Order: sequence, then C-alpha cells, then structure tokens
Amino acid sequence: MITGLVVLAQATADGNAFAQMLVGGISFGAIYALLAMGFVIIFKATSVINFAHGALTGLGAFLVVAFATVLDFPGRFLTSFPEWAQWTANVLTAFAVAALFGVLIERVFLRPMVGEALFAVAIVTLGIDIVVRTITNDFIGTQPRPVGAPWGLNVIDLGWVIIAWSEVIQIVVTIVLLVAIAMFLRTRTGVAMRATAFDQETARAQGVNVGRVFSVAWAIGAFLAAVAGLFYSVFPRRATGVDQATAFIAFRAFPAVIIGGLDSIPGAVVGGFAVGIAESAANTYLGFEFLGNGFPGIVGYLLMMVVLLIRPYGLFGTPEIRRV
Amino acid sequence: MRRKPQWLVLLLVLGLILAACGDGGGGDTTTTAAAEEEPTTTAAPAEETTTSAAEEGAGDVATDVGVDLEAQTLTIGLLSDLSGPFAPLVQVIVAGQEMYWADVNANGGIGGLQVQIETRDTAYDPAQHVQLYEELKTQVVAFGHSTGSPQTMAINPQLQADGILAIPLTWYSGWSDPAINSNLVPHGVPYCIEAMNMIEYLTVQAPDATTIAIASSPGDYGEDSNAGAVLAAEALGLEVVYNGTGLINQADEATLTEVAGGIASSGAELVWVTTSPTPFGSIYGQALAAGFSGALWSGAGPTWNPALVAPDSPISEPLSNDFYISAYYAPWAAESEGNAAVRDLVTAAGADPLDYYAEGVIEATILHQALQTAYDAGDLTQAGVLAAAKSLESVTFGGLAPDETYVGEPNERVQRAQFISRPDPAGLADGTSTGSTLVESNYTSPTAEAFEFNEACFSLG
Amino acid sequence: MKGRPLLYTSYEADQGLLNTTSKKVMLGLFLLVLVSIPFQVIPGLKFLGQGGWLRLLSTTAIFAIGALGLNILTGLAGQVSLGHAFFMGVGAYTAVWLGGPVDGPLLGLGLPIWIWLPAAGIVAALIGVAVGPTAVRVRGLYLAIVTLGLVFIGDYLFRNWASLTGGAQVGRDFPPLEFRWWKEESPVIDFTTPSTWFGVEVSGIAKTFFLLALLAGVYTLLAKNLQRTRVGRAFMSIRDRDIAAEIMGVNEFAYKLLAFGISSFYAGIAGALLASFLTRVIPEQWNLFLSVQFIAIILIGGAGTVTGALLGSAFVVLLPRIVQNFTLWLQSLALEGEGILGAIANVFIATSQTDFGLINTMAGVGPGLSVAQLNLVLYGLLIIGFLIFEPLGLFGIWLRIRNYWKGWPFTY
Repeated sequence: MITGLVVLAQATADGNAFAQMLVGGISFGAIYALLAMGFVIIFKATSVINFAHGALTGLGAFLVVAFATVLDFPGRFLTSFPEWAQWTANVLTAFAVAALFGVLIERVFLRPMVGEALFAVAIVTLGIDIVVRTITNDFIGTQPRPVGAPWGLNVIDLGWVIIAWSEVIQIVVTIVLLVAIAMFLRTRTGVAMRATAFDQETARAQGVNVGRVFSVAWAIGAFLAAVAGLFYSVFPRRATGVDQATAFIAFRAFPAVIIGGLDSIPGAVVGGFAVGIAESAANTYLGFEFLGNGFPGIVGYLLMMVVLLIRPYGLFGTPEIRRV
Repeated sequence: MRRKPQWLVLLLVLGLILAACGDGGGGDTTTTAAAEEEPTTTAAPAEETTTSAAEEGAGDVATDVGVDLEAQTLTIGLLSDLSGPFAPLVQVIVAGQEMYWADVNANGGIGGLQVQIETRDTAYDPAQHVQLYEELKTQVVAFGHSTGSPQTMAINPQLQADGILAIPLTWYSGWSDPAINSNLVPHGVPYCIEAMNMIEYLTVQAPDATTIAIASSPGDYGEDSNAGAVLAAEALGLEVVYNGTGLINQADEATLTEVAGGIASSGAELVWVTTSPTPFGSIYGQALAAGFSGALWSGAGPTWNPALVAPDSPISEPLSNDFYISAYYAPWAAESEGNAAVRDLVTAAGADPLDYYAEGVIEATILHQALQTAYDAGDLTQAGVLAAAKSLESVTFGGLAPDETYVGEPNERVQRAQFISRPDPAGLADGTSTGSTLVESNYTSPTAEAFEFNEACFSLG
Repeated sequence: MKGRPLLYTSYEADQGLLNTTSKKVMLGLFLLVLVSIPFQVIPGLKFLGQGGWLRLLSTTAIFAIGALGLNILTGLAGQVSLGHAFFMGVGAYTAVWLGGPVDGPLLGLGLPIWIWLPAAGIVAALIGVAVGPTAVRVRGLYLAIVTLGLVFIGDYLFRNWASLTGGAQVGRDFPPLEFRWWKEESPVIDFTTPSTWFGVEVSGIAKTFFLLALLAGVYTLLAKNLQRTRVGRAFMSIRDRDIAAEIMGVNEFAYKLLAFGISSFYAGIAGALLASFLTRVIPEQWNLFLSVQFIAIILIGGAGTVTGALLGSAFVVLLPRIVQNFTLWLQSLALEGEGILGAIANVFIATSQTDFGLINTMAGVGPGLSVAQLNLVLYGLLIIGFLIFEPLGLFGIWLRIRNYWKGWPFTY
C-alpha cells in the first residue's frame, strides 16, 4: 500500500513522466509477457524448464532478418502488394520456420530425455542453449542486422506522452496473441495440452497423443519467442537490429515466469507486465547516484525474490504436492 | 525401448584423450624445434639473457625463440579477438596482416627468412589472453598485436619479465606512458587526444556552440576518451551539460534509454559518445525520437561502423548529416600511396573492400621495420627485436597513417594526428566507398598540439 | 585379508578412504606422476611440463576446488544452484580487499595470504548462509532461477562497486600467490618466481602448480570425507527424499543452509585462487557462463562423486586446448595433406578466406565456425550427449571399465 501511495504521489507530481514510464513499461512488459508465456506453455505441457529460451529468441529474430531482408521470401512474389504487406508476409513465414525449429529441437534433443530427472533435462536445455545460440551467432555475424521494420523511427506525439509506433504495434499484437492462445486452449489440441499438463499418464490412457502435444507446445513456445525477439530488435530497444546479444533478453524474462508462477499462463502474462513496469519505473524514478549503472536490469530479479518470500510458488502457481 | 550406445561415448572420450596426447607433443605446426629447445622449467625468465640458447647460425644472426635458421622461418604471434565483441574488426585486421606478410615473403622475407604467423583467439577474455600468451611466448619472436587494453595490461608484467615486444591493438593513452610501455609500441592517436581533436573540429563546424554532452561505455576506452573530452571542453570554453561517462552498458538497454534521455533533455549542441556501434545507434535513434535535433555528433573511432548508414538502417539519413567520423588511419578509398598499396593487396587476395585491412598493414609495417632493423644489427632474439623497435626514429606508411616515432620524450613522440571523414551512405549502397568520405588528413587540433602529455589520461591501475 | 578384497573385518576398514590395495596403488602412482610433471621425466608426458600446459593443469586444480563445492551442494544435497560464479566473485573480492595494496587507489589492507585465503572462503560461506533462507524456501527448479538471479545481482554489484573491483571493463590486480608472515618487505616463499628447492631448480609456474595441486588435494580429502560423515549422509537423505528425511529427524532447513555454506566456502576459495592466479580480473568475469561451466563439470564428470568432479574439471579445462590442437592438425592436413585425408580435412576446415569449410582456420573470416565457437558448440554437445547417453558421466565410464576388468573373464 505504501508503494501504491508513493506511486500515486509521483504520478500526480509529474504526470508526463509517469505516463511515459507507463507506456514504456507496458510495451516492454509485452515482450516479457510473450517470452514468459512461451516458457510456461512449454513447462506446463512437457515439465521441462527451458533454459534454451534465449537461443529460441535469438534464432527467431535471426530468421526474421533472414526472411525479411536477405531472402525477401515470400515478399518477392507479392510485388502487387504494398511494402508493409510484403514485409509482414516475410515475417510470418519466419515465425512459422521458427516454430518448426522448436519442434525439431524437441524431437532431437528432448525426446530421448522423456522420463529422466527434471534437473537433468533442464541442464540438457542449457546445453541446447549454448549450441543453438553459438551457431545462430555465427550466422548473424558480428555486425548488427536491421530487420527492416516499415514503421522505422516514427512516433505519435500526444504532447503529454510520446509513443513509438513500434510500441503500439507490440501491445496490439501481444493482446491479439493472448486472446488467440486463450482460444486455442479451448480447441481439441488445446484441451489435449491441458490434459497432458495436468497428468501425462492419464492423458495418454485417454488416447491423447502426448508426443504431438509436446511438439505443439514447443512450436508455440518458439513462435512466441520469435515474436518477442522481433519486437526487441526494433526501435526503441535496439534500433540497429539483431546481434549476438539479442538472445540474452530471455534471461530477464525468467523472473516474470517465477513471479507469475511456473505453471500458470495468466500468471506469466501478469508477471511479464509486472517486470516490465517495474523496470521502467526503476529507470524513471530510481536514477540515484549510489545505485550506479544498470539497476533496472536486476529489478526483475529483486522483485522475484520478494514475491518468493511471500508466496514460494509465485502469485498464481499451484503449490507442489510432495509425497513421501 | 530406446538403445543407448554407451560404447559410442566411450569411443568419443578415448578419441579426445588420444587427440590430446598425440598433439600435445608437437601440437603447433610451426617451429617445433624452438618449442622443444626451450626448457621452461629450468630457464628462469629473469636470467634469460645468460641461459637462453643463443646460437650463431648461418648468416651471423643471433636468435633464441621464434627463428629457425635451418628452415629459414621466423614466427610472429597475434593475440586476437576473433569471436568476442571486436571480432568483426579484428578478423579483418588479422587478414590484413596475413596479406602484408605474404607480400613480404614473396619479396624475400626478412633476410631470406620467411615470416609465419601464429594467431590465437582470445575472445577478448583476459584469462584466455594470458593463457595464450604463455603458450605462444615460446614459439614467437614478437607479438604482431595484442587485442584489448585490460588484456594487454594483464600480460604487460610478463612481457617485461620475459623481454618480448608487443604491439597493442588499442588506442589507450597509457601505451604512450613511459611507466607502462617499456615493451609496447603504440600507434595511432590515443583516445584522449583524439577526443580533443574531434571536439575542436566540431567547434570549427559549429562556431556558436557552447554546450556539449558526453557519454561512454565503462572501461579504459570510454574513460580515457571522455577524460580527453572534458579537457577539451575546458580548453575550448564549452559547458558539459550532460556527463554520462561509464553509463552505457551494451547488454542493458535501460541504460541506453537513460543516456539518450539525458542527452536529449540537456539540449546540448555538440555530442561526444564513446562506445560500440550498436548501442550508439540505439542512443542516437532514441534521442532523435525524443525530439533532439540540430546537434553535431561524434565519437571515438570504434564508435563508428558503416552498418549504421546501411540502406536498411533507420537512422541512416539523419546520422549522415549529423555525424563526424574519427579514424586513426585513412579510409579505404583515400588517395595515397599507402592506400593504393592496401587496395592492391586486398584485391589480389580476392576480398571485399573494408577499412580495417589498413590497420593490419600498419601494425605489420611497424613490426617489419623492427624485424628488419634487428636483422641488420645481427640480433633476432626476442630482446633484440624489442630493442630494435624501441630505436625506430621514423616509421612511415605512405599516407595511410601519420608517421610514428619511438625515441624521444613522451610529450614529443605521442601521436596527435588523425583522419576525419563524413558518412557516405550513397557510396556504401553502390559500392564506391566503404561508407565514409575523407575530409581531413593528418589533422591535429591546436588544443591537442598544446596538450602536455606525460602520463596516461586515465589510470588502468 | 589377502585374496579377499571385499571382506572387511572392521568398521574402519569398510569406511576407509583407501580401503583396497588397488586404490592405494592408484593414488600412489597418481601422486608420483603429479609431482614429476614439471620436471618432465616421464616419457610421453614430457609435454605437460611446458609453461602453457602447467598453466592449464593449475587452472584444473582451481576449478576442481570449485567443482567439489558445487558437487557437495548439487550432487550430494540435491540443491540445484546456478549461482556458483557469484560466490566465487565474493571470495575473490574479499581476498583482494584484505590482501590488496594499502596505498593504492582501490580498497586494500595488505594482509598476508594465510588471512585472505581462508577469509575469502569464510565470507563467501557467510553470504551463502545469508542467501540460504530465501533459497531454502523454494524447491527444485525455482531454486535454479533464484540462484540465477544471484549471478545477475552479483554482476550488477561488482560492476558498480568500482572502489573494490576496479569498475566495469577495467578490473584490478589481485594479490599474488606468495607467503609472508606479516607484511614484510619480501615474501618468505614466492610461488610466482623461480627458485631452488632441495637443490632442484623449479620455475615459478611449477611452484604455483604444486601449491594449487596441494590445496586441491586437501579439499578433495575433505570432500571425500564429508560423504561418510553424519552431515554427508544427512545431505544424501535430503537429496533423495526430503520429507522422509525430515520425519526421521534430519533438520532439513539447517542442513540445506549448511550445504549452501560449505559449497560457498569452496567457491570462495576457488574464486580467490583463480583471481590471484590470473593476476587481473574484470568484474564481468563472474558471469553465468562460469556457473554453467561448473554445472557442466559435475555432470560430465559424474554428479555426486568426488572423482567425477576431478575428472570433469580436467576435461572441461583441457577441452579448448584439445580442440585447438585438433583444429591446427586439421589445418595442416588440409594445407599439406594429400589424398583422401586432405580432401576430408578440407571439407571441415577453411584454409583461406575464400575457401569453404565448416570450421575457419585461426584467422578465417568466412562463414564457418571460429575455433572459439567450435569450442562452445562441442561443449554444449558434450553436456547434452553425456546427459542423454551416460548420466553418470566420466565416472560412470570409469565404473564400466572397472567393472569389466573386475569381472573378467566372466563378463556376463
């Protein structure tokens, strides 16, 4: 409550800065929410803690670069459409390919690990992260690669707040995807996924193709990571584009997952926005000398520690039932 | 049930062990004779001059490490960052060195000795740097370059103890400081003097400017450069309205937003940013979007990268109006003998035009002259090459870079001249240039000229 | 009894660390080889005495100490921790605060090694225990992410506490490995410069190697002993079934804190030694990759076993050198080799900028992997490979070999 009062005081004192902070926080929170959602979907369906999410993000971002600027596929065939439509088509293709890579990784590396200890599987994903990230970095090269976003540096200047077009699009797309995922979980495959997440063996006994559920979960996870990667690589985050550091944004999304609860999809979204706004607030209001450089970057983790002290399973996570 | 081929794992592990043992003895393809000759356990580094195997071979040249008179080879080492943050530049620089030495070899080498290069990838990690230095020091006669300031500082005590020469591939002002540089031969204008040059040049372009904003990454690069910027501002009567020295953290874009916001709200007329190209692009773009315009921007040499004005880059147009490029050597398309020579070498090797080959050629030229002088004096030991380098009065590059000298007072011999260019997106797009056009050669500003240099502008401890 | 190796007639004999003749013999041989390495007397292993290899072996010893600590926490007590790099950093900076020069621009008290080295471990242990309660409340993989957070928070702290660490990208020099009684002018024993011991000349790096190997040996003994004590058994019971352990009277909270404390102690010592050995460290060095290296070491070596930690350290530290030698050999093959071998090598390696190859030569600018990247890829593949195919790691492989020979010729 005290924090609320402080925030309110700040807001009334300097409404513009507050609004700008909120806009930045929500749009960055959208990126974290996408990453956290992908992570939780994979975890819920397959019980795998995916340390390779960063690699998937970098891979997805690179695929966007490849399809949008290098290959121009399938944009080159759509010359009758305007530029932005071509670019969108390219980007969607890139996302589809990213999803395929997700499935590929799951099949090759994680199928053999079904049934093994969770710790071991988590470390396997660490290994996957190293391998995929290194090879992707090799393809990205050492120069930053712009994605060719059609909205460029354009902003909407409302006087009391400036919103970049890319931020608007990020928020809109994130909301659309959230709704889409929510609807998907009501379809047949979605229900199968929820069943598998709840109890793998029983789901199998009921005739659910668990292998296919795993693949679908990884495909969605990789897809969401790619979308997050794209939004991270445009103005105002990194105007110069995709480079070898793009993959590390996923590590900042882990606190969002924990805050929301490892097995709660709505929790992941809430956690993502919470971390985004917290970072933005820290950036705007906590610019104290003694805090030095880079404090907003760890605000997410500090928030996570605080939440864990109060609720050890996150805000919406289900407590683990332990049997002797 | 799935099968687990455990024998496969066994085979793999055994294979790796065999590879280690097998290659451990003669793991490096060059000058194995030198490697086995050097009894590292009994030869104390401090007593090197008395116990080292100085042989009088054919040609009356004294040698100890790195020179094989029977095979007629001479080996130099390169401690390069081939996969870290500066990989794009350093890979090209290494290629430039290789092209230069190949040309030298084709023309008789050094007194008939063919020069061989041993390159190691340090990945910009000081620990790796030290490790690879230790491995290479028993095989090479000198180091053609050593990438990174903290890294070079890390091996500096060993260089001094072992008596080996190294050319630092950084422009930290400490390399011109006699308290540090007994085994180093720097080249190119140091960061702090570069800042003085460029800021004064900006005031010439915008004579009414009275305010300046500065920002940088942490570390020797940013701090040294901004120390120079502060000195320049004092000397020129500019007010520093925003000082973000050490605040730019490449991995954390919140810092980029912070710095961009600081610059934008300061309303400065000149901006000096010292960092790598990617964060610079972000900061510039965000400052623009916040409504900041009309200022002139510049930064230390490594801040610039042609990709900033690539056709797809969203900041290409405004940047080419606002930015002034600082460089330690002439860009690719410049008209000079030295440049023409570089262009010949690169096209003969079938590679694409890039500015950075010139840096490799410059380093190699310095080392070439040192080696040749040492050979002429009859002493191609590690110590001999070091002494030869430290005696060079004038190293010229045919207009590719300003002349260097390694004798005399630090204040006299520190390099103060540099090159200034403007961005050239059109030339980059159609391939006629590497993204920049030269506007000033061998430029030294009055402030830099008047500056008393006696020690490093920023202490690396 | 002779001829009946598995017949133990006393409790001590059963629990003994060297309870079989073969163990004693192996240990003896190992120690002999270790001592002789810098003097290059054993044929076939002479190359190990070179400066570069001695440095690698010294690094292995330091990593082994750290790995033993993580092994106690993760392998023995079952607590997944990605925060090892943070505790190493804490240890290193404690060491430099106590042992660094008094009159320099950065913090330092000029104390001798017998103060700063144990203090590094103790302070790291205390911080480990302080972090404990948060970490202990959460379970399993939540813990992994909490410890991950520690690394990032530590990175932020180290980068910003410039008066202690030297600041981001700059770093500072660390107190060298030398022994003084109390702030004398020159050290009693200096482990970094050559001197004469018992009439034999030894180089600086050889002395460093002996010191580090000795320390590693001491800590190995302590770790191995821990497994058979009450504390060790408590750890293992928590790892296997923590609720059952609690019911049996094992205070889960206290023992988990103890596990964190002990593991952080090892990490602190390893961090201080590593920083001192490298002489100069930038604060970015204590990063996630370092933590992952330790996880990889225990997994590749064999989680929960002391021998595994040692084997894993050797493997991970020596891997880059092996890959480097291998690449150089491939390169020479591609350049000079004839016939099939040369052709195959050429596919794998690019000999110049315009040549195609999966791996670039040392200076290659082409599309292939650089040697450092090849290192990373192999590293990741090895982690994955060992976990999929051989969960017991190198120790498991050793077990197989040993059991094969134990049962020979009745291998079925």
